[in-house]
Amino acid sequence: MITISIKWTRHNLFGKPFDVALSLLVIPGVLWLAYSIFDWALTTARWDIIAASLRVLMIGVFPADQAWRAWTASAIIGAILGAGLGCVFSFKPHHGLVLVLVPLLLLIVDHGDLGNALPAAGVVAATVLGWVLTSYLPLSRKVIPAAAFTGFIVVVAVMAPPGVGLWGGLLLSVLLTLVTSVLSLPVGILLAFGRQSRLSSLRIICTWYIEVMRSVPLILVVYWIWILMPVLAPQWELADVARGMIGFTIFYSAYVAEYVRSGLQAVPRAQSEAARSLGMSEFDINRSIVLPQALRVVVAPLVGNVLDIFNSAPLVFIIGLTDFLRAGQMILANPQYGDRTFEVLSFLLITYFLVGSMITYAARKLEDHMATSTR
Amino acid sequence: MTIHETSAIHGMAESDRLRSRRLRNRIRHEAIQLGIVALVVVLLGILAYAVKAGLAEKGIRFSFSFLANTAGFDISEGWTLTSGEGVVPSLAQFSSDMSVASAFITGIFNTVKVALLAIVLSTILGTMLGVGRLSTNWVVRNLCFWIVEFVRNTPLLIQLVFWYFAVVLRFPPMASAAKLYGGLIVSQQGIYVPTLSWSGGVSILSLILVTATWVSVLGAVFDPVRGMRRICIATAVVCLGLLIATGGMTVDFPVANKFKASGGTSISPEMAALLLAVVVNSASFIAEIVRGAIDALPKAQWEAAGSLSLSRRDTVNDIVLPQVFRVVLPSFGNQYISLTKNTALGIAVGYPDLFNIYGTIANQTGHSLEGIIIVMASYLILSWIISSAVYWANRRLNPIGVSR
Repeated sequence: MITISIKWTRHNLFGKPFDVALSLLVIPGVLWLAYSIFDWALTTARWDIIAASLRVLMIGVFPADQAWRAWTASAIIGAILGAGLGCVFSFKPHHGLVLVLVPLLLLIVDHGDLGNALPAAGVVAATVLGWVLTSYLPLSRKVIPAAAFTGFIVVVAVMAPPGVGLWGGLLLSVLLTLVTSVLSLPVGILLAFGRQSRLSSLRIICTWYIEVMRSVPLILVVYWIWILMPVLAPQWELADVARGMIGFTIFYSAYVAEYVRSGLQAVPRAQSEAARSLGMSEFDINRSIVLPQALRVVVAPLVGNVLDIFNSAPLVFIIGLTDFLRAGQMILANPQYGDRTFEVLSFLLITYFLVGSMITYAARKLEDHMATSTR
Repeated sequence: MTIHETSAIHGMAESDRLRSRRLRNRIRHEAIQLGIVALVVVLLGILAYAVKAGLAEKGIRFSFSFLANTAGFDISEGWTLTSGEGVVPSLAQFSSDMSVASAFITGIFNTVKVALLAIVLSTILGTMLGVGRLSTNWVVRNLCFWIVEFVRNTPLLIQLVFWYFAVVLRFPPMASAAKLYGGLIVSQQGIYVPTLSWSGGVSILSLILVTATWVSVLGAVFDPVRGMRRICIATAVVCLGLLIATGGMTVDFPVANKFKASGGTSISPEMAALLLAVVVNSASFIAEIVRGAIDALPKAQWEAAGSLSLSRRDTVNDIVLPQVFRVVLPSFGNQYISLTKNTALGIAVGYPDLFNIYGTIANQTGHSLEGIIIVMASYLILSWIISSAVYWANRRLNPIGVSR
């Protein structure tokens, strides 16, 4: 009876014509992109611009007499970045060396000015070192998160001079991400407990807070906090960075609260009942029985949230801070480089992609680690 | 003395004690409730007082009366509501002598316009990308994977700036504009698309044709029988064709001149960039949702359909897609809400959406706090509308007790 016989796969949902249509759409686009990038790299790329913009992109604008601080900070960030890249794309070290040797040579040859070329070469060398270390030492893969964190603390505490307006570039993005994700966790946990509280007033207040924050754009919250703080407390004179961080924390703690709440609901009720039968107080039950298990469940969304924070860090442009994107635009604002829009923006996109993939990779490692430790 | 006797003798006292303890707990509970409410009221009071004092220092009073003032600034595009003739409000292009309130309405209109278009386009593109990620064709699968991966791991703001400065503004100037498919003009000044415009007046023939088109479109959307739906679509197309043929409706093709194009509908460069960025961004998120849903579908479903000798198209249409659609609907709702919020980034390229216009108003009038209340309320209401629409669709598709 059955005359047709089709090999059933769950892939290829709409069959060959769909594939062909999509290929026709996508392949020319990618070819065009690849062609223009190669064409640019071979004929019109200004490697000296890229070398000069490295410092601005990484840590923003420094006064000329503090160039050494800027380059040192860039070198540390480069080392961390290189280590992360070595972790994610675990090439053998000589791959990394070959990859980096070309721009290094171009850098020193093209730049002409040895005074500037040397620190730039230092940044590149630091990046290579990070890459090589992670490729050789299996141990270093576990140390990377801690090393990265320590590295940034060192950069922030020692290298970046105190003062407003000097924060910028990748440093600002990462600093904002770190501070926001650390601060929003306790606030979010409190909000999550508040939303599940037996006290109806607390429940209603927390629910409204979370609902409102989740349905307005982040850019609005950041801008709002930025204009509200001087009105509320004119005597504080908070820096723009601090105001931005407060806005981010206020916004993202609502998201963290929702994740944590889902984790709290995932903990079996028997756990808290057993603890109650042992005579523990409600506070102790929540703190030492329910919360640790809940947090373990929601590690994945919480780390995803960190990536989210990192990806929305450029929004601080609205309050006039020089983050990575703004630094790129400052390079573009120089009339000498005015027609380099495509290159600079592509460079920004690719760097963001690399750092974002590093965070994703670290998240996956952390997830694996948490999952095995519960078994 | 047995246990039974104990409870009998002391029963009265026990229950009394229990009752008094319950009362005590209840009173404590209420007291804490009251304390929380009082705390919040006091906090809000302090906040309000501080805001008032801070504003008074700058010589601004907290009031909404500025909404009726004349705006005094121009908005590059967008419609607003005016009280035209009589009670019925009519749409009009915003001009600087209108009130601040109508500037806000223009902003809401622009935001909703972009959000609606982006929701439709990103659903289509996202579904294609998601299905493409499961393709058996290596090229298609990997291309879709890398597109999705790249877009999801980079900030939307940079994508937006990229689309605007590196793509849309690099389109050819109007004199050498690209003319695609005969009617679509792409240039630096924006994208021009052909439009349908009504020119038939109120003749009986055109009214009948419009009604027939509308009824068949409704039938195509809501008729439960698939065969009927096809007939409805065909009828709609025929009616529309007749309408154009009899002159009841004309297709307005844009024509490119040396410096500007005329006719059709224009999409400004800002809106084109915002639309591109938001559509591509949320399409890649939707692609992940769709891929996850298809992956989660048991393979046995395909095998069962195969053993019934259903054709591929019937399997996809009747077995796979209905189940996938049910699973993805709530996630689509979340994605639509975040897409709507993301349109606020239009300020980076100068698209006059709600947030951008709020910024202008706050600068011009100084009433930033009142303005923020309006803007927050608008976004909140937009989110609620989207989530209730998705909830309604979900209820219709997943009646309680039928699935799961």
